Amino acid sequence: MAKRQKRFEVLAERPINKDGFIKEWVDVGLVAMESPNDPKPSIKIENGIVVELDGKRRDDFDMIDFSIADYCIDKRVAEEAMAIDSLKFARMLVDINVPRKELVRLSVGMTPAKLVAVLRELNVVELMMAMQKMRSRKPPMNQAHVTNVKDCAPLLAADAAEAGYRGFAEIETTVGIARYAPMNALALLVGGQVGRPGTLSQCAVEEAAELNMGMRGFTAYAETVSVYGTEQVFIDGDDTPWSKFFLASAYASRGLKMRYTSGTGSEVLMGYAERKSMLYLEIRCIMVTKGAGVQGLQNGSISCIGVPGAVPAGIRAVLAENLATVLLDLEVASGNDQTFTHSIERNTARMLMQFLPGTDFIFSGYAAEPNYDNMFAGSTHDVDDYDDYLVLQRDLQVDGGLKPVTEEGVIAVRNKAARALQAVFEELGLPTITDDEVERATYAHGSKDMGDRNVNEDLRAIDDFMKRGSTGLDVVRALAKRGFPDVAASVLEMQKAKVAGDYLQTSAVFDENFNVISAINHPNDYEGPGTGYRLSGERWEMLKNIPRAIDASQI
Amino acid sequence: MQVTEDLVRQVILDVLGAMGGDAKPANGVKPADAAPLNFRELGTAKTGTDRNEVVVGVPPAFGVAMTSTIIGIPHSDVLKEVFAGIEEEGLKPRLVRVVRSADVGAIAHDAAVLSGSGIGIGILCRGTSVIHQRDLQILQNLELFPQSPLVDRSVFRAIGRNAARYAKGEQPDPVPTRNDPMARPRYQGLAALLHNKETQHVKLGAPAVELAL
Amino acid sequence: MADVMNDISPDVIEAAVKRVLSTLNGGNGGSSAAYAAPSSSGKLDAKTDYPLAKKRPDLVKSATGLPIDEITVDKVVAGKLAFDDIRIRPETLEYQAQIAESGGRPHVSSNLRRAAELTRIPDTRVLEMYVALRPYRSTKAELMAMADELENKYQAKICAKFVREAAQVYEKRGRLKEA
Repeated sequence: MAKRQKRFEVLAERPINKDGFIKEWVDVGLVAMESPNDPKPSIKIENGIVVELDGKRRDDFDMIDFSIADYCIDKRVAEEAMAIDSLKFARMLVDINVPRKELVRLSVGMTPAKLVAVLRELNVVELMMAMQKMRSRKPPMNQAHVTNVKDCAPLLAADAAEAGYRGFAEIETTVGIARYAPMNALALLVGGQVGRPGTLSQCAVEEAAELNMGMRGFTAYAETVSVYGTEQVFIDGDDTPWSKFFLASAYASRGLKMRYTSGTGSEVLMGYAERKSMLYLEIRCIMVTKGAGVQGLQNGSISCIGVPGAVPAGIRAVLAENLATVLLDLEVASGNDQTFTHSIERNTARMLMQFLPGTDFIFSGYAAEPNYDNMFAGSTHDVDDYDDYLVLQRDLQVDGGLKPVTEEGVIAVRNKAARALQAVFEELGLPTITDDEVERATYAHGSKDMGDRNVNEDLRAIDDFMKRGSTGLDVVRALAKRGFPDVAASVLEMQKAKVAGDYLQTSAVFDENFNVISAINHPNDYEGPGTGYRLSGERWEMLKNIPRAIDASQI
Repeated sequence: MQVTEDLVRQVILDVLGAMGGDAKPANGVKPADAAPLNFRELGTAKTGTDRNEVVVGVPPAFGVAMTSTIIGIPHSDVLKEVFAGIEEEGLKPRLVRVVRSADVGAIAHDAAVLSGSGIGIGILCRGTSVIHQRDLQILQNLELFPQSPLVDRSVFRAIGRNAARYAKGEQPDPVPTRNDPMARPRYQGLAALLHNKETQHVKLGAPAVELAL
Repeated sequence: MADVMNDISPDVIEAAVKRVLSTLNGGNGGSSAAYAAPSSSGKLDAKTDYPLAKKRPDLVKSATGLPIDEITVDKVVAGKLAFDDIRIRPETLEYQAQIAESGGRPHVSSNLRRAAELTRIPDTRVLEMYVALRPYRSTKAELMAMADELENKYQAKICAKFVREAAQVYEKRGRLKEA
């Protein structure tokens, strides 16, 4: 075109048009919810053994089929569940007269293709209605990412503290440089307990390294234990369902909470989707997770969100996978944790899918740092969006898991966390955190406000620290000796949580008094209007009162 | 940027071809933007004994079916930079094509296992790279460069240089980490397309092949 | 760490003895029946016994037999606690398995029972076993030997069966290390 239409010129410059969109490519599985190559639902059971699953005979099963057939599916209800018309079951999901318990009972009798057939019947509003009913824990909560591009420990501690203080129930770090992992884990352990006692912390790195840190008491849970929907991708992920099942038991054997991670788009992104739709493969992941006996799953495409985000109905598929997770009675950390668009409108719309109904963790990683420091390659929302998020909660009377805070309060917890970590480093023989670093971390927006640490000195010290066999108890001792008795007590409580094992149960988190809140003692009892979680009472008073709201009595 | 748009068009055309469609984009489309590399295949790659070598592993499509990274750096330049980085440190690069996988961790680890020094580099067609060491788990790494749009020529040279320093038993400062939170929305769908092209050339179970330029 | 090593207190020795005894006891039992809980059905219940730390502190002890209330900051500072004193013991995992079961989550129970068996295995060996189960790491014979080790050395019967099953599936799917 020689001459451009002016409106189109303006539109071309809009952020949305920087996003990548691709047309469905069915032959490689670049399709969200429905591929002609997806199998038809079927099951055959002989002598209590599944001999056919979604049209495939047992002789032809791959590893994932075996683990679903033998560990996930409840053979006693399979025939009953498979006989229910998919549309009828979809209607039961949004019917307030059908209790959650009954749907959960039937869900483990279904095959992956059957669950996909059910989910295809639901539009996004119905998916949200079902999520509100099916989530396993009554109060919704939230999780933050705590990272920075320099792996700067005092800043991590300050950010962890602020995240806990603002209400995140869980905080997750990862690394720019892999060998920094134990130091980052330590910063979150200390900072998280300063911000709010009971904050659960984790460090997402390679599987064996991550377990090692958990065993030593530097983390309280694990999440990035990835499962995949095709065997070849599972193998490329350097695991099998059997190694991953064993890993799940290994975590529990050390009293550590854990959930798996999966998400639509991972198989096609890794090149082996077997021509199936993204949702079909994701349902297989969810069923592997269920079979493992893991209490929960992080999904909602996660790091692959650019893939479903680029194809039609991809964001609907993401909500559908979240719903399938809770339908199978698993805790869900429901994504919203990775940038997928340049458009603010699109970003918010995607987030509302989980925010409005509430999930166990609406975000599986809200960036508790500016996005340039988010080492999961950016989250949908970051520190600059805190006030927008608080107003959304207030406008809609929805509990998104965060609470209004004061600047003084944030400064205080950031400073204390950085000082506590400074003391721990000195006691444990880790490279000094200077007073200047403490001051900068207290007032920083992000790592651009921090100096550079001596990376090699840090890495060498970390290696020594791990070789010495240091544990969470050394951290408790250091904090107690150096005048942080309350933080020492909280870090010890986190260790004791692993002795009692209460937080191994589904959807468990701790309040600030270390009372466990899980699907066992706070089950979701939604049965329509007037039931279930309602934002009311003290909590609503707290969330209403954003600092900038004008008080008539003060004028 | 110009090159990238060309690449996008090329891929979309390929996709349309694969779908059997006959749609044509409105604008004129240039052919592939970089020349293929003239590799000589020297047979099955063997485990090296020279402690002064760093093995660079590439996937089957590298320089052949695909010829430039996601931001348009020709694969010939990628190898030039990485080799120069290794040679600056006085070590020798050796090139292998890993045929059994298009996973960057597996490619880098295979390269490390084949390397006399125990240090290997894996580079995907789109530019995603890893520096690996023989005795680490496949999904661990010495240094990881996961965001392909941020891996430019200077990073490729630094990857070569640092790999050589690890091979000499030194503890180099890691290449400074880069992060662009908007790389995913812009590139991930495309990366999925590229990776699916890449995996179509994989032969499971096949041994690595020694290459010369 | 050095200052801890210099003044080994009687408590640490006592804890070590308890630890050894607890391992021996675990070795003799292993089945869920060994952990008879004092409710009428013999099993713990999600409604009445959870959370254990608050409702049944009498049942919650560490791997060394230390009651949870005796894990204090003072003892940590005094060097009177070893890391094994803050490890979960198999009985607790069995109790949590019963709670999950009574709450309608048998899949979770199965995992917790496998976990109970793994408490008896040292950290490093658990990590090695995990790696051995990753693809192409082990021959069939190596996996079968690992299963025997689980069964005979650690009385981990469920896990042993699980590893034997893995060996079969890996063989069928071509994911074993070449012998």
